[in-house]
Amino acid sequence: IHPTGKLFVLSDGEGKHTTVELSEPLEEEISGVLEVVGRVTNQATIMCVSYVQFREDKSPFDLEIYNEALKIIHEFPEYFPFG
Amino acid sequence: QRIRSQNIVPCTVSQLLAAEQVDEAFRIRDVEISQVTIMGIVRHAEKAPTNILYKVDDMTAAPMDVRQWVDTDEAGGENVVVPPGTYVKVAGHLRSFQNKKSLVAFKIMPLENMNEFTTHILEIVNAHMILRKNLMSASRVPQSFSSAGIGDMGGYGGGGSLPVNGLTAHQSQVLNLIKNCPVPEGMSLQELKLQLHNMSMSTIKQAVEFLSSEGHIYSTVDDDHYKSTDAE
Repeated sequence: IHPTGKLFVLSDGEGKHTTVELSEPLEEEISGVLEVVGRVTNQATIMCVSYVQFREDKSPFDLEIYNEALKIIHEFPEYFPFG
Repeated sequence: QRIRSQNIVPCTVSQLLAAEQVDEAFRIRDVEISQVTIMGIVRHAEKAPTNILYKVDDMTAAPMDVRQWVDTDEAGGENVVVPPGTYVKVAGHLRSFQNKKSLVAFKIMPLENMNEFTTHILEIVNAHMILRKNLMSASRVPQSFSSAGIGDMGGYGGGGSLPVNGLTAHQSQVLNLIKNCPVPEGMSLQELKLQLHNMSMSTIKQAVEFLSSEGHIYSTVDDDHYKSTDAE
């Protein structure tokens, strides 16, 4: 997380990094797995609209498997339409 | 021929919004659905005297209205409102009123393990694919198939055909020979042994037994002659 609190770096299920920018600095401490909803900018960063922290208190979230699942659903747009 | 849905089918909100209504039933690309499960994040929760109205967002479309009826006789317990920002699994019935779709939930559970979300999205693809295949091959002899990882909400419906590439090399070879046999009484075990020099009689017999129990072949004049159910 950047010192200004307006930028943080996430790494995905394949170990690739991406920068997420916020319009307002972070008001809380965040850690672990986050789901960010936002727009891709032309600097290849994500302008964050909202984020949610995944619960990992009972079981850790398997990010690699989730990544594989995403690839699969994108292969079948007829069974998983994005409206 | 329609498959009557007696199952609960995992869906995306985008699929539910796209579902067509025919008389009393809904159809997603010809697959009939009624009871569904969706998984998403609660964006809004409004408590009314007789029900709680949630808006659940699974990111495939705009958040969907989910109504949960509240038992006014019961105090507490069932009527705890799930706070916005929580991921939930909703099981309910699809409804359409004045062209607006919504769900009437019989169960709303906050997710405790986010890996369930990964399972859910895969189950959606799997369920719709299998249900669609069942429709296409409704004339086939129903066969058993194993489906990995069906959740606690139940399965997807009756038989379907196993993909041919689920067979071992030996089984595929035996099946292909039997399929291509033009003789009315089918292929005999002796004939198979003649054609398949690399296979022992016991391997051939094992393959034939497996194929027969899976419904790919059936015995004709006697237990030594087989024809394919899949005749070309």
